[in-house]
Amino acid sequence: MKIRFWGVRGSIPAPGPDTIRYGGNTSCVSVETRTGGLVVIDMGTGLMHLGNHLMTGAFGKGQGRASILLSHTHWDHIQGLGFFPPVFVAGNQFTVWGPGGSPEVLEGILEGQMDPNFSPLQTLKNFSATFDVRAVRCGLPFDAEGLRVTCREHPHGSATALAFRIDDGTRTFVYASDVGQPDAGAPPHPDAIAFYQGADVLLHDTTYRPEDQATRRNRGFSSYEDAADAAIAARVGKLVMFHYDQDYSDADVDELLASCRATLDARGGAAIGLVPAREGEELEI
Amino acid sequence: MKVRFWGVRGSIPVPGRATSRYGGNTSCVEVRPRNGSPIIIDAGTGLRRLGKSLMEEAFGDGRGSATILISHTHWDHVQGLPFFSPLYRAGNKVEIFARQRDTHLEAVFSQQHDSPYFPVPMSAMQADMSFRELLEGARFELPGGIRISCTRLNHPWVAMAYRIDCDRASLVYCADTAPFADILFGREFVTTPPALDQPLPPDVAAELDRMRAGVVALAKGADLLIYDTQFTYEEYRLRPHWGHSHPDDAIQIARDAGVKRLCLFHHAPMRSDDDNDRILAKYRGVVAAQGDPFSLDSAFEGLEIPLGDQ
Repeated sequence: MKIRFWGVRGSIPAPGPDTIRYGGNTSCVSVETRTGGLVVIDMGTGLMHLGNHLMTGAFGKGQGRASILLSHTHWDHIQGLGFFPPVFVAGNQFTVWGPGGSPEVLEGILEGQMDPNFSPLQTLKNFSATFDVRAVRCGLPFDAEGLRVTCREHPHGSATALAFRIDDGTRTFVYASDVGQPDAGAPPHPDAIAFYQGADVLLHDTTYRPEDQATRRNRGFSSYEDAADAAIAARVGKLVMFHYDQDYSDADVDELLASCRATLDARGGAAIGLVPAREGEELEI
Repeated sequence: MKVRFWGVRGSIPVPGRATSRYGGNTSCVEVRPRNGSPIIIDAGTGLRRLGKSLMEEAFGDGRGSATILISHTHWDHVQGLPFFSPLYRAGNKVEIFARQRDTHLEAVFSQQHDSPYFPVPMSAMQADMSFRELLEGARFELPGGIRISCTRLNHPWVAMAYRIDCDRASLVYCADTAPFADILFGREFVTTPPALDQPLPPDVAAELDRMRAGVVALAKGADLLIYDTQFTYEEYRLRPHWGHSHPDDAIQIARDAGVKRLCLFHHAPMRSDDDNDRILAKYRGVVAAQGDPFSLDSAFEGLEIPLGDQ
């Protein structure tokens, strides 16, 4: 699997000279399978740039297909959809897997974003591509472009977010953004650790420094310490830092990275690789 | 008064190296009268940083007061509002003006906070927030003798242009709008571009003429005209059904209205800083060659323009 980061920021896009190195677009990650299949995770503003890239290939000719996994429907995870050029090319096919419990509910939520008060597109029905919306059932694996996907519902403040475990038969990638333990000092949830167990790569929410998380725990995000503890407990190969707070500059993220490395080393995770998600970068698993 | 740009981009925020000089935040302009509370035009993502800056003033103590004028409720003009810190501080007073919709404005804005989309409900905003519905042609005054007037623009589901007269100067904000030439926007979703350079049905042509005359009248003699120039002329010819204009059209409006200064605004998301430099240089050449009596700028984040009494 080849992972590529198109948006790594949380909550709201953060343009500006001090977010250039890590990037200011909201969450979007692509996974290319060994056979050339495409799975997209989350539809933040990074999705527009992925879309522009895809238009140079089969998607530009209406011959593309992809599965989209949606962790949850907060703005920063869906706001790129109306700006994703491949949905306006007839012949392209998308299968969207996400929360909501039923396809009708999830489609209704996505439809709300296109409300004519807010979007000139007015409705999802104005997409030319096939846009097949399905609701996931946790515990029931499904197939996305030949990859086996299972999901788990994580606490995320007043809401929940789905984490995805993606397996291509030999390698495993876990995507766990927008997760936050509600109680300070609680160890990682055993079911979450079981879900991450032995993954080659765990992408985990690292929105905050611990001291910033302490004043905003109700928002439902993790600190780099939470991520490091989860990676160590689940004995993963590599940890990817993701979903940086909108107010963190590149220098702040540099510091987050160094502190996360130090935490891993100090707590028995010296063998775990650490990669900060950066817009435009790739990670081969 | 002083005008400051916090977001100059159209459609969607675009972070990154290619946009770092002009800025990637969506539409937000601050107007600061010499005496009086800030007036904010549009609530794109630029509003977030403006909010942080305001929290350093009276808003941080819950003693601030602001007026927000919304051109229309498309995402790129409202998506900063849930991140506007002064709204979460009790005691602050924020009055939001926008054109009347089918449903009450407050209901439209609170949809942004619905639980599938945003973790914080609108009820958590403890400031004294009020919504005022406008129809085109409305005129009203704010404390301190500040006069506001508005007219309708040519954009899907209607956008409003605003004029602010204050401190013996005037500012006009025209975004978003298409030229008043090839298509009349209403509520329909237009899938294919209309034929260009064709005669329009007389009723459509008359309505567009009326709308254009309204904009020219609103901008009459303005010290500063901020105008939607999302497209280049060539791009507009390909997408006349998207509801945005181009510099040639903006310059013609500026001439007809006799403004003193024109500012290109609402840059397309994929427009790089270098593209914007080239466009500005080209049209400064056009304005100079024509002997136009106004100066031309291209809006960038942080640009400050003093107008009238300081």
